[in-house]
Amino acid sequence: MWNHNKGNRDPARTNHRLTGKSCKTRSIWKSLRSLLQKDFRMMRSGKFFAVALGSLLLYTLFIHFAYVRFMDMEIYQVYLYDPAGTQRNVSPLVHPVASLEEMDRILHKDANSVGIHVTDGKPEVSLYTASKKLDRHRSDYALSLLHPGGKYTPETVGGNNLEQKNRRDITCELLFIEIVAVGFLGIASVLFKEKQMGVMRVHAILPLPKSLFLFSKIFLFLATDLVFAILLVLCNVGLSGTGKILPGLLIQTTILSLVMALTVFGCAMILKDFRQFSLAYLVIALFVTAPVFLSANTSIKMTWIRFHPFYHIYMGLKHAFFGIPVANPLYYLCAAGAVVLLFGIVKTAFCREMEKEG
Amino acid sequence: MMEVKNLTFSYGKEKQALHGLNFSVEDGEIFGFLGPNGSGKSTTQKILTGILKGYGGTVSLFGKDLSSTHTQDFFEEIGVLFEFPYLYANLSALDNLRYFSSFYPRERLRDVEELLDELELKQDFRKKPVSSYSKGMRQRVSMARALISNPRLLFLDEPTSGLDPSGAVLFRRIIEKERQKGTTVFLTTHNMLDADLLCDRIAFLVKGNIAALDTPKNLKEQHSNHRITVEYLHQGRRGEQTVEPTELKAGIPFAYDELLSIHSQEPTLEDIFIRYTGRRLS
Repeated sequence: MWNHNKGNRDPARTNHRLTGKSCKTRSIWKSLRSLLQKDFRMMRSGKFFAVALGSLLLYTLFIHFAYVRFMDMEIYQVYLYDPAGTQRNVSPLVHPVASLEEMDRILHKDANSVGIHVTDGKPEVSLYTASKKLDRHRSDYALSLLHPGGKYTPETVGGNNLEQKNRRDITCELLFIEIVAVGFLGIASVLFKEKQMGVMRVHAILPLPKSLFLFSKIFLFLATDLVFAILLVLCNVGLSGTGKILPGLLIQTTILSLVMALTVFGCAMILKDFRQFSLAYLVIALFVTAPVFLSANTSIKMTWIRFHPFYHIYMGLKHAFFGIPVANPLYYLCAAGAVVLLFGIVKTAFCREMEKEG
Repeated sequence: MMEVKNLTFSYGKEKQALHGLNFSVEDGEIFGFLGPNGSGKSTTQKILTGILKGYGGTVSLFGKDLSSTHTQDFFEEIGVLFEFPYLYANLSALDNLRYFSSFYPRERLRDVEELLDELELKQDFRKKPVSSYSKGMRQRVSMARALISNPRLLFLDEPTSGLDPSGAVLFRRIIEKERQKGTTVFLTTHNMLDADLLCDRIAFLVKGNIAALDTPKNLKEQHSNHRITVEYLHQGRRGEQTVEPTELKAGIPFAYDELLSIHSQEPTLEDIFIRYTGRRLS
């Protein structure tokens, strides 16, 4: 407690001392409530919620009217030329052709289809339009039809039909993009606005724990992401599907949201202005999304991807969308460690920002 | 109230900003801290307001060592006016003040409307966003923020900057009123008029050292040449003579028909500052 030398001071300054732990706790809650209200207003005036709502609408329209219809295409046709008749147990989905010329004509016409030419008992796959790395799954699918039950037979995960699977896939990707790229930018704009006003420095001399200033913002950003995730999933996966995957989904969204919010907070404290941030944003967004999407959604194999932290977070999110629990305690331990470490870095950067002037 | 002993601070290894400052500020005193840009004024204020840590020496505030007992209670006792009016531009003056005041115990808060009346902030603007305010209006709201919690110790950094002359007079009146209430004021400024009119004592800070510390009156007396200039009319011609005060004991020691003016040759604070430092303030 500080001494009070009352002297000729007016009564308003005396008898105000509150003591005890409960008063401190009450004061912290009161401070937190003020910070939350102010941050909510800052986010509202920065059109943060409007942008999130716009994204939700846009994603939902895209999934309903574009993605699901576009992805509702027929599976690749598989054509087999086996003049010696060596392949006996082929799937009924395989269409035999009488000659190589006929197969050539069909593959020219339908570039997505797959041709198999068997010579001396060995199947050779022909793809007319394909990438050597990207289209392995098409040849694997064709070979799996040639030998049902063999080594190429795909494993069936979950009981979703094609549309349900597509909806979950794209909703997961859009949620990831929203948090990593769109929301990330929105948070940065709110933080830089506050930084440029200089008001963060005033908090250095206010009687409140400095961590509370960070906590309030992180809490609101997280809450917004969670509400966004729930609404996006409700609109695009459906009510019954959402109930089953929600707990896992909220956990994975929380991890991703916290990591991104703290990253952008750190950037806002370290970088001078939004212009500098926009360059950093390109690097961060590309670093986070490009290799993760390529590795998780295509046949491109990158051996180093297991060292990419966002790959594991993305896969956690993806697993959550398909109701597969992430049971590895190391993953959660690393996530918690990353959040604590980032919070420490952000707090240090915030304290340095408060020391600045002008 | 405030006791600073051998205060040192360095930004990095090679940039020492403060070289062992020693001064004390009494309860209810207005203490002026004057110095050119880069002299260490802001660094000192940041240390005294608890923003900057890692300093050398001892700083005692309210009878306690700042480094060992730095708590939230300390921040409840101080009010700080920064050089720039840091406010939420999207909020109104009232909302800004309600927000900043929400962190203090209710018992010690001043009425927001009364405070804005005192600072003569136009009624029409109080609910408008601060982004629509002039610099002077923002400065008034910032001053209200510093005063809202009835602080015992007030740190003012260039309080009259950005104000028109009537605003500056109003601010000086408010600072004087605070002193009468018993508030201690630590005033950092470039403005010699503010320092001269308001401060009980002033310290000249140059390159992280205190070059002089005394009352404005004493400083002026110490540096006065104790001469008096008399302007007069004699036989229709205007004349001017400078004499020693002792020469005036027996009356004006030269012939004249009419006295026009008598001026002492007392230096201004800025003159004294230049004598100490060889530098102008701004």
